[in-house]
Parts: sequence; C-alpha cells; structure tokens
Amino acid sequence: MSVPSGANGSPSDAKTASTQPGKRSQKAKARRRNLAIHAKPLPLETHPLPAFHPSNPISLLRLCYAWISDALFSPTSHPARDFVGYFSPETRSVHVTDPRCARILWQMGFFGKGTLSRSEPSWLKREEARVREQRMKPKGRLAAEDWTNVRREERRMFKLERARLEKEKIERQRLIEAGDLPPDEEEESTELTAEPPPEDIPKLTTEITVDAPVVGGHVTPPMDLQNGHINGDSKRLRPTLNGTLLPAHDLASQPSSPLIVRSPQPFPGPKTVEEEEAAEEDEEEESRGRAIENQEHLQLTFEEAFFLVYALGVLTIHPAKRRDLSPLSVKFKPQPYSTIDLLELFCQYSSFPPQDTVWISPDEQFLLNYVAYHHFRSLGWVVRPGQKFGVDYLIYQGGPVIAHAEFAVLIVPAYTDRYWNTPGGRARRRVYEEKDWWQLHCTNRVQSRVLKTLVLCYIDIPSELDMDFDDVIDVGKLMRSYKVREFVVRRWLPNRSRD
Amino acid sequence: MADVDEDAFTPSAPGGGEDQDLGDEVQDFRFLASISREDASIPKRGDKDFEPHGTALQSNILTASRQAMHNALSYQRMHQPKNHVVAHYHPETNMAYVPNPKGIHFTKVGSVLSAKHDPLGDDERRGQRLWLLPEETLLLLERGVLDVRWPVDLDDEGDEGLPMSLQGAYAMFIGDGETDTSSLTLERYLVYSNLKRTGYTVQRAASWNSNGPPLGPECFAPRSGRTWDVGLLETARWWYLLLSAKEETAPAEQRVGPLVPNRLYRGYPEIYRRLALINYYNPTRQHIQDPEFSLYPQLPRTEDLRVTYNIWKPNSPTFKKSAPGPPDFRIAVVNAREVDIPSLEQLDALLETTPYDPPKDTAQLYQKLKYGYKNVILAIVDQGIVSYLRFGDAAFGLEHLYERQRGGPGGKRGRGGGRGRGGRGGRGGR
Repeated sequence: MSVPSGANGSPSDAKTASTQPGKRSQKAKARRRNLAIHAKPLPLETHPLPAFHPSNPISLLRLCYAWISDALFSPTSHPARDFVGYFSPETRSVHVTDPRCARILWQMGFFGKGTLSRSEPSWLKREEARVREQRMKPKGRLAAEDWTNVRREERRMFKLERARLEKEKIERQRLIEAGDLPPDEEEESTELTAEPPPEDIPKLTTEITVDAPVVGGHVTPPMDLQNGHINGDSKRLRPTLNGTLLPAHDLASQPSSPLIVRSPQPFPGPKTVEEEEAAEEDEEEESRGRAIENQEHLQLTFEEAFFLVYALGVLTIHPAKRRDLSPLSVKFKPQPYSTIDLLELFCQYSSFPPQDTVWISPDEQFLLNYVAYHHFRSLGWVVRPGQKFGVDYLIYQGGPVIAHAEFAVLIVPAYTDRYWNTPGGRARRRVYEEKDWWQLHCTNRVQSRVLKTLVLCYIDIPSELDMDFDDVIDVGKLMRSYKVREFVVRRWLPNRSRD
Repeated sequence: MADVDEDAFTPSAPGGGEDQDLGDEVQDFRFLASISREDASIPKRGDKDFEPHGTALQSNILTASRQAMHNALSYQRMHQPKNHVVAHYHPETNMAYVPNPKGIHFTKVGSVLSAKHDPLGDDERRGQRLWLLPEETLLLLERGVLDVRWPVDLDDEGDEGLPMSLQGAYAMFIGDGETDTSSLTLERYLVYSNLKRTGYTVQRAASWNSNGPPLGPECFAPRSGRTWDVGLLETARWWYLLLSAKEETAPAEQRVGPLVPNRLYRGYPEIYRRLALINYYNPTRQHIQDPEFSLYPQLPRTEDLRVTYNIWKPNSPTFKKSAPGPPDFRIAVVNAREVDIPSLEQLDALLETTPYDPPKDTAQLYQKLKYGYKNVILAIVDQGIVSYLRFGDAAFGLEHLYERQRGGPGGKRGRGGGRGRGGRGGRGGR
C-alpha cells in the first residue's frame, strides 16, 4: 500500500506485479477458509456414512463402525437446546442475544444480521481492531466494514483529485484565453497535471488520507491512517472538502525532505485535541480491562425467524421482556410463542402501524414474504433481504461470503382467483396499487448496474374462502395453497442481439 | 464512455443507437460534420460537461456542435433519380402498391397478393405488383425510398397523381383501425421503425389484431415418449419414491411444524426434501390440452397482451419472404402510459402463445434459469422512448440447488466486457 509517491514509475509497477500471484493465492485461501466455515447450509447437523471403496477393505470397517456407533448413540440433528430469540415489536424483528447462537445462525445458513454491522455480526472484531490500532500495534485483520470505509475514503480522494485537476485545466485555459499565459508555456504547466496519470490517481491518493489539522497555527504533519507513518510529501497539494487547494507552504520550503518518514511512533509534537481524546479513551479501555463487552446481537427478520421455528424447529421465541414498550395487546406470556401465535403476531406486525386484529387475510405481506422465502430456501438458496437494491430478496448460491448473488427477487402478488375479481374480493385486496413500468425499469436498471438479474416472483394468492380453518390454522395447508411462478426479466438490446 | 458497439453507428444507417442512452451522455453533434466524408469512422462520444465554465474553448465546441447539428438537419434529402420508385395509395384497403418494385428495400417488405386477395383483381401486372402494409409504406416514405401518389381519376390517363407528403402519410396510416388492437398505433410504428432501422426483418404476427390462431403443438412441453427405457426409468423412480417415502413430510407434520423433526439425517438433501412445501409452476408439465384449456380457468381469458411482431435477425438464413419460418424473437408492444406491468394471467396468456423453448440440458445453472422455458420480448413504449424487456419463464423450482456441489461459482464473473463508466461499476457489495 505504501508506495513512495516520488517513485511512481517502473519500480512500483514491478512491485505490484510481483505481489499479484501472492494476492491471488491469498484470495483462494480466504475462499477455502470461508467454504470450510460455512460448509453447513442449515443450522442442523447431519451424520453422513463414510464412503465405501471396494478396493479398500478398511473403508468397510469404518462404515460398520459408523453404523454401529450411530445405532448405539443415535446422534441427532438439532442442537441440544433450542436457540432463544426475543420478539422485538419496536424493531419488528426477533433478537438473538446469545453470541454463540448468533454465530451458529450466521455461519450455518446466513440467518439474520448484526445489529451494529452490515450483515455478519462483526462489531466486536471491529472494535478490537480499532482498539489495537489506537495502541499502535501492528494492524490486525480488518472487518468488512473497515475495508468499506477505506475504499470510500480512497474514492472520495480520487474524486477530489479529479475535480482539482479539471478545475486546474479550466483555469489554465482561461488564463491562456485571457492572454496571461502564453500557450508556449503549456509544456511547463502541464507537468503538474501530467504527473499523476489517470490510472495512478487512486493509487497515489491512498497516501493523502488525512489532511493536516491546523491547531493553533501549528501544522502537524499528516499521518497515514493505516501504517501510522508520517507523510511529509512536500510536492503534493492536499485537496480539502471544498475543493480548494491547501498548499503545504511550510513544508514546501524543503523540497529535499524525505518523502515518507516511517515511524511506528506517533509524531512527538504537541498533542492535538484528537490525540488527547484518543489517549483518554485508551486509558479507559485499559482500566476496563482488555476484554470488550459484546454489545451486538443478531437480528432476524420475521421470515427468517418463522422459518427457523416452523420449518427447522431450532428456535424458540419469547415475548419482549419489557411489556410497556409493546404498543399493542401482544399476548404477553412468560412461556414462548407457539407457531400459530407467531404466525398471527408476524402478520399483525408486518404492516405499519400494526393491526390489532386476529383475522388473517391470505394476501398478508408477511405470508407473501414467507412463501417466497420458504420456496427459495427449500430449494437450497441462501435468501437475504434485498432492500438496498430495491427488491425483496437476494438469493445466493452458497451464501454472501462465498459468491455474489446472481438473482434479485421482487415479489408480485397475483390475484388470479375468481374471488379476488368479484367486487367484494377487489375491496378486500390489500395490495392495491399495481407496479408501473417506471418502477420496474428503475429496479431493473439498478440490478443490471450491480450485475444481478431481476426475477419477478408472482405469488398466486388463494381466496379467503380456502382459508376456512375449523379452529386452529393449519400452517401446512395454508402454505400449500399458494403457488409461485418466476419470470426472469432482462433488458433486451436490439443492437446486441443481431447476431 | 458508453460501450461503443451498443451504439454502433454507420453512415449508411443513421439512427442505430437512438433508443436509450442518448440522455445519459453529453450530446456532442460535431461528429455529424464528418459523416458525409468517405473515410468517416464511428464517432466517439466526448466527456460529460455539466455546466458552462466560461472558457472560449467550451463555447466554441458548443457552437460547432450546434452548427453541425443544424447542417445535418438542413441537409436536403432527395430521391435519387436512379432508383426512383413510385407507389400508389389504395384508399379502400389503406395500403399502397408498387407496380414496379426495384431496389434492395423491397426484398424484405411487402407481399404479392394472390389473384383472390388482390384488391385490384387479377390483371397481367398482378405478379409484379407489391402490396405494402401501412407501416412499411410509412417507413419507406420516411427514408426517402418511396414516392407515394394519391389516387387519380381513372379518366385522366396521363396523370400520375399528387405526391403524398410525410404528414399526409402519418395522417392516413397511423391509427387507421377502429380499435387500438386492430390498427397501427404510433407505439407499434415506433417499435417497427426502430427494429427495421436496427436491421431486423419485421413482420406482423398472426395475433396482430386478434387472439391469433389456435395454439400449435410447439407451444406445449412435449410428452416423454413411452418407450421401454422410459417405462423402466418410471418404475425405478416409483420404487425410489416408495423407498424414500419417509423423507416426505405428512400433512399432520406440516400443521404446526417443525418440518424437520429432531432425528438422524445422513445428508442435507434429505433435510431439504422435507422442506419442500410451496407449490410452483412447472413449465415442463404443460402438455397439449384441449383448446379451451387455461391455467386460470376461473377468469375470462385475457387478450390485451399479444405478440405484435415476429422478427428475424438481419442475416437470418431461414428467412424467406414466401415462407418466413420460425422467427428469432417475438415482440409484444405495450404502451407504458396505459397499462401497468402485466398481471400473472396476462403474462400467462401471452407466453402461452409462444413456442416451448427450453434451455439446453448442458447449460450452466445460471444460464438455464435466465433462459427460461418460454420467452417473449415486451417493447415498452413510453412517449416515444422504446425499451425492450425479455421475460423468460424460469422455473427455479426445477433446479434443486441443494443437490449440486456446494461452493458456488468460483472466480470473478463479469458480464460482458468493456463495462465501467467511471469508477462505479461492480456489484455494490454482496
């Protein structure tokens, strides 16, 4: 990462080229590790029999041994104790607070999301990395969120640099036109713009990560975020937020100063406010002890929670602990919810504001979502919410850390039953507005931008009359009365389909 | 920089890439000035310009661009005397006929009608007379290939009739029918001209103004033949099902779950088979039925979405005007201002009319799913802007992902090359 900025010629290129194969093998290693961690697609254990090879007689013994031990000890698929979740009406989700359970649910099937993380509950890891960095220890492994921040910073700097170059070019053009700058001086003035060729800009700008904070007239040298070394590059003009240039005038007077001073210690100048704060925090951490308390828990959507309860039976859900927070007459019971309770509860809470009714309509949002969720899950896809791409679900082969999602699923309710087309049925429809083409085009454009394919998942909704249950809802019958049909939608370009 | 080939632009066929992406880019028309030259190359688009920054350079570029555009538009288009083709308007049928068709344009448009169908009767010129549909006439007129004449009095022998103006042609041909489904609407003409200019061969589909002919056997999934090996396989499957019956869940178990009880499982496929609960549409089971069959028998069959055009690729080897053969694509024209995205019964009724076209068995999983078992292209016209969407009848339920090797597709899977306009490509997270 820390290529000396003065030598942006061949040496650095050679260096990056030499690191390329190493990087690739590292990637493959990480991939193998991820595959091993997430080898199990569901939070259940299986006990496959070892393979029998006729050429290898010992394998028969092994097979017999596995068979007998399975018969004697009868290992089971489910964990010894169910995972425990708490229904949270405020966030309309189910919280799993035990970090062990949370880890298992994430690693085996990618259920839920960390409350303080993007997806994988990694807050503790990030926090530890941050603390480590503050103590100036060699950098640890960064969490995904940290890499995102690094990338964002790089991109921001790249844009600022680009804007600066453009502005400079325009300024020069203006000067030339005004006659202040003779055109023959162009050679000299282009030097600056030509110095960072376009490909090199992102690489170079990783160096200029922190602007020199000016505290009381004292300019502290900029410090690289990642390595903690001091960047005293005098030639670079540092862009600031408003796009103007901040010439490092006091440093520019010494063009022969070393470009990058590597130092594991922070610059021993007068401490800035930030540094003092950091030191204080550090001391706090020390006094608190090395271990950081994990303040994060796993947050399951209604569909995930219902799948874990109804389909897999590995989760029990308890009511929210504080009764006063639940706005509705949620059945407060000390014992966990039953499957039917959960179905009613989730239906109630799947619309906003929550309905205070126990009548379940077949086109309830939760039911539509669950039907799609269960459909794709039962086929072996890993299903994750897709709000950030404007769809209902993203489906992954293997899981988000293994491969990118190829398909983005948008649920479309289909009222094909005659009941829904009678005036009474029409009035009872919950999803009134049909999606228009603009919306579909927008969604599709977003998907093609992020290299995903849009899938319209039509869910054929049974009529209310079909849901005539005697006293207790039969969840299986309810689910079997829906029918799913998918259409893959892609933009078709006449110019590209000619041959 | 947009992909060059998406908007490939040759001097002989201007207007190739005018469909979508013009609005995304700065419209620099200076390239128009060079098109008339012999050595004209494919023009490249410039950088984005967001605001005036007051330099003479920028304003000069803008002026030059405007001037080039102006020159291009004010260029006087004339009929070449060499291939001057006269057509006569026939008011009774609202068509036009060409007594002497010559030139490359007539190889793929128009038709010679049989003696029974020719409105002018069976005279000695019939075999040569080419009848043009409204959209064909309009496009040829617009391109300056055809000179359409208004009809003349039969008494006046020497008179050739007055030439029809472009405005006159639009007035006569657009919206000629009583209903939108039977006439050439502006939307349909826009799609037609867009596809023609891109080089396709376009013909009206049989369902242009009606429900179309009854569905042929090609629209249905074939039944597997009853040969002895199939019978054997069937028997084997039955035995397998009998033996593995314990894997299926009983309705009693499905009442409140869990679908997967706590016991010993030998593998995850076993568990996944127990999870199967939701019904799905299986396109491979849609065998030929009686003509009144409908998947949604409770509803009246909808006819509002129909295949409008059949199109063939420019160099299609199968296309012959007399016997066109199966088209490469089927296009249904939709007016975005009037209808919303199709409902399930509309899509079903539309896809029913297209042939059964399953993906190759050897195809990769993603390719298979994206291709679908039946497909149709919707041309959505929104106030003159045409965008095409391909709808494929995918059947995710037929692909049991859990039986495949785990691990997912490896490596980087970019789609196509030459992407990346600026630094914002990529998948945007997982």
